[in-house]
Amino acid sequence: MKVLISGGVKNGKTYHAQRLAKALSGKGPLYYIATMAPVDREDDERIARHIAEREGWGFETIECPTDIMSCVYRGRPEGVFLLDSTTALLANEMFSKDGSVDHSAAERVAEELRAFASCVEGIVVVSDSIYSDAQTYSELTQEYRISLAYIDRALAKSFDAVYEVCCGKIICHKGSLLEGYGKESLENKENKVQGGKV
Amino acid sequence: MNLIIGGAYQGKLEYARERFGLSDEDICLCSEDRQPDLSKSCLYHVEQFVMLCMKNGRDPALELADWQKEHKDGLLICEDIFCGVVPTDRQTRLWREATGRFMSWAAREAESVTRIFCGLPQKIK
Repeated sequence: MKVLISGGVKNGKTYHAQRLAKALSGKGPLYYIATMAPVDREDDERIARHIAEREGWGFETIECPTDIMSCVYRGRPEGVFLLDSTTALLANEMFSKDGSVDHSAAERVAEELRAFASCVEGIVVVSDSIYSDAQTYSELTQEYRISLAYIDRALAKSFDAVYEVCCGKIICHKGSLLEGYGKESLENKENKVQGGKV
Repeated sequence: MNLIIGGAYQGKLEYARERFGLSDEDICLCSEDRQPDLSKSCLYHVEQFVMLCMKNGRDPALELADWQKEHKDGLLICEDIFCGVVPTDRQTRLWREATGRFMSWAAREAESVTRIFCGLPQKIK
Protein backbone atom coordinates (compact mmCIF):
# COMPACT_ATOMS: atom_id res chain seq x y z
CA MET A 1 0.00 0.00 0.00
CA LYS A 2 1.20 3.49 -0.90
CA VAL A 3 -0.02 6.44 1.14
CA LEU A 4 0.49 10.20 0.97
CA ILE A 5 -0.08 12.19 4.15
CA SER A 6 -0.15 15.98 4.16
CA GLY A 7 -1.51 18.84 6.24
CA GLY A 8 -0.39 21.74 8.38
CA VAL A 9 2.70 21.88 10.57
CA LYS A 10 2.60 20.17 14.02
CA ASN A 11 -0.85 18.72 13.32
CA GLY A 12 0.17 15.09 13.81
CA LYS A 13 1.25 14.02 10.32
CA THR A 14 4.39 12.21 11.44
CA TYR A 15 2.63 10.54 14.35
CA HIS A 16 -0.07 9.13 12.09
CA ALA A 17 2.48 8.24 9.41
CA GLN A 18 4.48 6.24 11.98
CA ARG A 19 1.42 4.40 13.25
CA LEU A 20 0.21 3.70 9.74
CA ALA A 21 3.61 2.43 8.56
CA LYS A 22 3.85 0.18 11.60
CA ALA A 23 0.34 -1.19 11.02
CA LEU A 24 1.13 -1.81 7.35
CA SER A 25 4.40 -3.60 8.04
CA GLY A 26 2.92 -6.21 10.36
CA LYS A 27 5.97 -8.16 11.44
CA GLY A 28 8.01 -7.19 8.37
CA PRO A 29 10.90 -4.73 8.24
CA LEU A 30 10.12 -1.10 8.95
CA TYR A 31 12.26 1.78 7.74
CA TYR A 32 12.31 5.48 8.46
CA ILE A 33 13.84 7.53 5.65
CA ALA A 34 15.21 10.65 7.30
CA THR A 35 15.56 13.42 4.72
CA MET A 36 16.70 16.37 6.77
CA ALA A 37 20.23 17.62 6.10
CA PRO A 38 20.95 19.50 9.34
CA VAL A 39 22.49 22.94 8.96
CA ASP A 40 22.39 24.29 12.50
CA ARG A 41 21.77 23.46 16.16
CA GLU A 42 18.04 23.97 15.81
CA ASP A 43 17.99 21.19 13.19
CA ASP A 44 20.10 18.94 15.41
CA GLU A 45 17.64 19.41 18.26
CA ARG A 46 14.70 18.77 15.94
CA ILE A 47 16.30 15.55 14.72
CA ALA A 48 17.08 14.42 18.28
CA ARG A 49 13.43 14.99 19.18
CA HIS A 50 12.25 12.99 16.16
CA ILE A 51 14.62 10.13 17.02
CA ALA A 52 13.33 10.10 20.62
CA GLU A 53 9.75 10.04 19.36
CA ARG A 54 10.49 7.03 17.16
CA GLU A 55 12.09 5.07 19.97
CA GLY A 56 10.51 1.70 20.53
CA TRP A 57 8.51 1.79 17.29
CA GLY A 58 10.86 -0.65 15.54
CA PHE A 59 12.05 1.66 12.79
CA GLU A 60 15.45 1.27 11.22
CA THR A 61 16.60 4.74 10.19
CA ILE A 62 18.02 5.37 6.73
CA GLU A 63 19.63 8.78 6.33
CA CYS A 64 18.84 9.94 2.84
CA PRO A 65 18.81 13.69 2.17
CA THR A 66 19.02 13.21 -1.63
CA ASP A 67 18.78 10.45 -4.26
CA ILE A 68 15.85 8.47 -2.90
CA MET A 69 16.45 5.54 -5.23
CA SER A 70 19.57 4.67 -3.22
CA CYS A 71 17.21 3.46 -0.46
CA VAL A 72 16.32 0.48 -2.65
CA TYR A 73 19.69 -0.99 -1.77
CA ARG A 74 19.66 0.08 1.86
CA GLY A 75 16.45 -1.65 2.93
CA ARG A 76 14.60 -4.83 2.03
CA PRO A 77 11.92 -4.44 -0.67
CA GLU A 78 9.36 -6.42 1.37
CA GLY A 79 9.58 -3.71 4.02
CA VAL A 80 7.47 -0.65 4.65
CA PHE A 81 9.22 2.72 4.27
CA LEU A 82 8.21 5.95 5.92
CA LEU A 83 9.58 8.97 4.08
CA ASP A 84 9.49 12.17 6.11
CA SER A 85 9.32 14.46 4.19
CA THR A 86 9.04 15.44 0.52
CA THR A 87 9.38 19.03 1.71
CA ALA A 88 12.94 18.47 2.94
CA LEU A 89 13.82 16.08 0.11
CA LEU A 90 12.79 18.62 -2.54
CA ALA A 91 14.69 21.43 -0.79
CA ASN A 92 17.85 19.28 -0.74
CA GLU A 93 17.42 18.27 -4.38
CA MET A 94 16.50 21.73 -5.63
CA PHE A 95 18.96 23.94 -3.75
CA SER A 96 22.63 22.94 -3.73
CA LYS A 97 25.15 24.08 -1.15
CA ASP A 98 27.04 25.97 -3.86
CA GLY A 99 23.97 28.15 -4.37
CA SER A 100 22.84 26.64 -7.65
CA VAL A 101 19.19 25.76 -8.27
CA ASP A 102 17.91 22.73 -10.12
CA HIS A 103 14.82 24.00 -11.93
CA SER A 104 13.84 20.50 -13.05
CA ALA A 105 13.87 19.05 -9.52
CA ALA A 106 10.06 18.72 -9.30
CA GLU A 107 9.69 16.34 -12.26
CA ARG A 108 12.82 14.41 -11.30
CA VAL A 109 11.93 13.92 -7.63
CA ALA A 110 8.32 13.01 -8.45
CA GLU A 111 9.55 10.40 -10.93
CA GLU A 112 12.15 9.01 -8.50
CA LEU A 113 9.56 8.77 -5.72
CA ARG A 114 7.13 6.95 -7.97
CA ALA A 115 9.88 4.60 -9.12
CA PHE A 116 11.01 3.93 -5.55
CA ALA A 117 7.42 3.35 -4.40
CA SER A 118 6.95 0.75 -7.13
CA CYS A 119 10.02 -1.16 -5.88
CA VAL A 120 8.84 -1.66 -2.29
CA GLU A 121 5.95 -3.37 -0.52
CA GLY A 122 4.68 -0.32 1.30
CA ILE A 123 5.45 3.36 1.56
CA VAL A 124 4.06 6.26 3.57
CA VAL A 125 5.15 9.68 2.35
CA VAL A 126 4.73 12.82 4.43
CA SER A 127 4.36 16.24 2.79
CA ASP A 128 3.33 19.71 3.95
CA SER A 129 0.42 21.90 2.90
CA ILE A 130 2.00 25.29 2.27
CA TYR A 131 -0.54 26.65 -0.19
CA SER A 132 -3.23 28.50 1.70
CA ASP A 133 -2.16 32.01 2.61
CA ALA A 134 -2.28 35.53 1.20
CA GLN A 135 1.47 36.17 1.23
CA THR A 136 3.52 37.21 -1.76
CA TYR A 137 6.66 35.10 -2.00
CA SER A 138 9.97 35.63 -3.77
CA GLU A 139 10.27 34.07 -7.21
CA LEU A 140 12.42 31.24 -5.91
CA THR A 141 10.10 30.41 -2.99
CA GLN A 142 7.19 30.51 -5.41
CA GLU A 143 9.02 28.02 -7.66
CA TYR A 144 9.63 25.79 -4.66
CA ARG A 145 5.90 25.84 -3.75
CA ILE A 146 4.92 25.03 -7.35
CA SER A 147 7.44 22.18 -7.34
CA LEU A 148 6.26 20.68 -4.06
CA ALA A 149 2.62 20.91 -5.20
CA TYR A 150 3.61 19.13 -8.42
CA ILE A 151 5.13 16.26 -6.42
CA ASP A 152 2.09 16.11 -4.10
CA ARG A 153 -0.30 15.87 -7.04
CA ALA A 154 1.83 13.28 -8.84
CA LEU A 155 1.95 11.06 -5.74
CA ALA A 156 -1.75 11.61 -4.97
CA LYS A 157 -2.57 10.42 -8.46
CA SER A 158 -0.52 7.23 -8.38
CA PHE A 159 -0.78 6.25 -4.69
CA ASP A 160 -3.57 4.14 -3.15
CA ALA A 161 -4.55 6.54 -0.41
CA VAL A 162 -4.25 10.25 0.40
CA TYR A 163 -4.87 11.54 3.92
CA GLU A 164 -4.93 15.07 5.25
CA VAL A 165 -4.13 15.42 8.93
CA CYS A 166 -5.83 18.32 10.70
CA CYS A 167 -5.61 18.82 14.48
CA GLY A 168 -4.47 15.24 14.83
CA LYS A 169 -7.51 13.94 12.92
CA ILE A 170 -7.42 12.20 9.56
CA ILE A 171 -9.45 13.36 6.56
CA CYS A 172 -9.40 10.69 3.87
CA HIS A 173 -9.24 12.16 0.34
CA LYS A 174 -8.52 8.94 -1.55
CA GLY A 175 -8.68 5.24 -0.79
CA SER A 176 -9.88 4.08 2.58
CA LEU A 177 -8.50 3.99 6.07
CA LEU A 178 -6.67 0.84 6.96
CA GLU A 179 -8.90 -1.74 8.68
CA GLY A 180 -8.63 -1.36 12.43
CA TYR A 181 -6.14 1.48 12.22
CA GLY A 182 -8.50 4.14 10.96
CA LYS A 183 -11.26 3.59 13.45
CA GLU A 184 -8.95 3.78 16.38
CA SER A 185 -7.15 6.83 15.05
CA LEU A 186 -10.35 8.72 14.27
CA GLU A 187 -11.42 8.23 17.82
CA ASN A 188 -7.91 8.66 19.10
CA LYS A 189 -8.26 9.93 22.58
CA GLU A 190 -4.64 10.16 23.49
CA ASN A 191 -2.83 11.44 20.47
CA LYS A 192 0.77 11.59 21.63
CA VAL A 193 1.48 14.59 19.43
CA GLN A 194 -1.28 16.55 21.10
CA GLY A 195 -0.17 15.19 24.44
CA GLY A 196 2.37 17.94 24.78
CA LYS A 197 5.49 16.19 23.51
CA VAL A 198 6.16 18.82 20.87
CA MET B 1 -23.62 28.61 -9.34
CA ASN B 2 -20.84 26.27 -8.29
CA LEU B 3 -17.69 26.96 -6.30
CA ILE B 4 -14.24 25.45 -6.29
CA ILE B 5 -11.84 26.38 -3.49
CA GLY B 6 -8.35 25.15 -2.73
CA GLY B 7 -4.77 26.16 -2.01
CA ALA B 8 -2.38 27.36 -4.69
CA TYR B 9 -1.28 24.82 -7.33
CA GLN B 10 -3.67 22.11 -6.13
CA GLY B 11 -5.18 21.46 -9.57
CA LYS B 12 -8.41 23.48 -9.25
CA LEU B 13 -8.64 24.52 -12.90
CA GLU B 14 -7.73 21.09 -14.21
CA TYR B 15 -10.50 19.59 -12.09
CA ALA B 16 -12.98 22.28 -13.24
CA ARG B 17 -12.20 21.61 -16.90
CA GLU B 18 -12.82 17.93 -16.43
CA ARG B 19 -15.96 18.07 -14.29
CA PHE B 20 -17.74 20.90 -16.09
CA GLY B 21 -16.34 20.26 -19.56
CA LEU B 22 -14.90 23.78 -19.82
CA SER B 23 -12.79 25.00 -22.71
CA ASP B 24 -10.56 28.10 -22.80
CA GLU B 25 -13.43 30.21 -24.21
CA ASP B 26 -15.50 29.58 -21.07
CA ILE B 27 -12.85 30.81 -18.66
CA CYS B 28 -12.09 34.36 -17.55
CA LEU B 29 -8.82 34.81 -15.67
CA CYS B 30 -9.57 37.58 -13.16
CA SER B 31 -7.12 40.37 -12.42
CA GLU B 32 -6.95 43.12 -9.85
CA ASP B 33 -6.21 45.57 -12.68
CA ARG B 34 -9.08 45.12 -15.12
CA GLN B 35 -12.78 44.32 -15.27
CA PRO B 36 -13.50 40.62 -15.82
CA ASP B 37 -15.29 39.45 -18.96
CA LEU B 38 -18.63 38.57 -17.40
CA SER B 39 -19.86 36.88 -20.58
CA LYS B 40 -17.75 33.89 -19.47
CA SER B 41 -19.34 31.23 -17.30
CA CYS B 42 -16.19 30.51 -15.25
CA LEU B 43 -14.39 33.16 -13.23
CA TYR B 44 -10.93 31.86 -12.33
CA HIS B 45 -8.90 33.45 -9.50
CA VAL B 46 -12.01 35.23 -8.32
CA GLU B 47 -10.02 36.45 -5.29
CA GLN B 48 -8.31 38.86 -7.72
CA PHE B 49 -11.73 40.15 -8.75
CA VAL B 50 -12.45 40.80 -5.06
CA MET B 51 -9.24 42.86 -4.89
CA LEU B 52 -10.39 44.88 -7.93
CA CYS B 53 -13.77 45.55 -6.27
CA MET B 54 -12.04 46.55 -3.06
CA LYS B 55 -9.84 49.07 -4.89
CA ASN B 56 -12.95 50.54 -6.52
CA GLY B 57 -15.02 50.52 -3.33
CA ARG B 58 -17.57 48.06 -4.72
CA ASP B 59 -19.28 44.98 -3.34
CA PRO B 60 -18.19 41.91 -5.33
CA ALA B 61 -21.45 40.08 -4.58
CA LEU B 62 -23.53 42.96 -6.03
CA GLU B 63 -21.17 43.22 -8.99
CA LEU B 64 -21.89 39.58 -9.83
CA ALA B 65 -25.69 39.77 -9.44
CA ASP B 66 -26.37 39.92 -13.20
CA TRP B 67 -23.65 37.38 -13.98
CA GLN B 68 -25.29 35.00 -11.53
CA LYS B 69 -28.69 35.35 -13.27
CA GLU B 70 -27.21 34.91 -16.74
CA HIS B 71 -25.07 31.92 -15.79
CA LYS B 72 -27.20 29.56 -13.74
CA ASP B 73 -24.43 26.96 -13.96
CA GLY B 74 -21.66 29.50 -13.52
CA LEU B 75 -18.46 28.56 -11.76
CA LEU B 76 -16.27 30.56 -9.38
CA ILE B 77 -12.76 29.29 -8.68
CA CYS B 78 -11.04 30.82 -5.68
CA GLU B 79 -7.59 30.30 -4.18
CA ASP B 80 -7.56 29.55 -0.48
CA ILE B 81 -5.67 32.56 0.89
CA PHE B 82 -7.10 32.29 4.38
CA CYS B 83 -4.78 30.14 6.49
CA GLY B 84 -1.57 32.14 6.84
CA VAL B 85 -0.46 34.57 9.51
CA VAL B 86 -2.41 37.85 9.52
CA PRO B 87 -0.70 39.91 6.78
CA THR B 88 1.17 42.98 8.02
CA ASP B 89 0.25 44.89 4.87
CA ARG B 90 -3.10 46.61 5.42
CA GLN B 91 -4.44 46.15 1.90
CA THR B 92 -3.56 42.45 1.86
CA ARG B 93 -5.19 42.06 5.25
CA LEU B 94 -8.43 43.72 4.17
CA TRP B 95 -8.40 41.83 0.87
CA ARG B 96 -8.11 38.51 2.67
CA GLU B 97 -11.07 39.37 4.89
CA ALA B 98 -13.15 40.70 1.99
CA THR B 99 -12.47 37.49 0.04
CA GLY B 100 -13.46 35.39 3.04
CA ARG B 101 -16.76 37.25 3.40
CA PHE B 102 -17.37 37.06 -0.34
CA MET B 103 -16.75 33.32 -0.43
CA SER B 104 -19.05 32.74 2.53
CA TRP B 105 -21.79 34.57 0.63
CA ALA B 106 -21.01 32.65 -2.57
CA ALA B 107 -21.07 29.32 -0.73
CA ARG B 108 -24.53 30.08 0.66
CA GLU B 109 -25.76 30.84 -2.87
CA ALA B 110 -23.99 27.94 -4.53
CA GLU B 111 -25.43 24.55 -5.43
CA SER B 112 -22.10 22.89 -4.86
CA VAL B 113 -18.82 23.72 -3.14
CA THR B 114 -15.78 21.57 -3.81
CA ARG B 115 -12.39 21.82 -2.16
CA ILE B 116 -9.35 20.54 -4.06
CA PHE B 117 -6.49 18.94 -2.11
CA CYS B 118 -3.48 17.50 -3.98
CA GLY B 119 -5.64 17.35 -7.13
CA LEU B 120 -8.41 15.43 -5.35
CA PRO B 121 -11.94 16.81 -4.87
CA GLN B 122 -13.62 16.99 -1.47
CA LYS B 123 -17.32 17.77 -1.48
CA ILE B 124 -18.07 20.49 1.08
CA LYS B 125 -21.61 21.29 -0.10
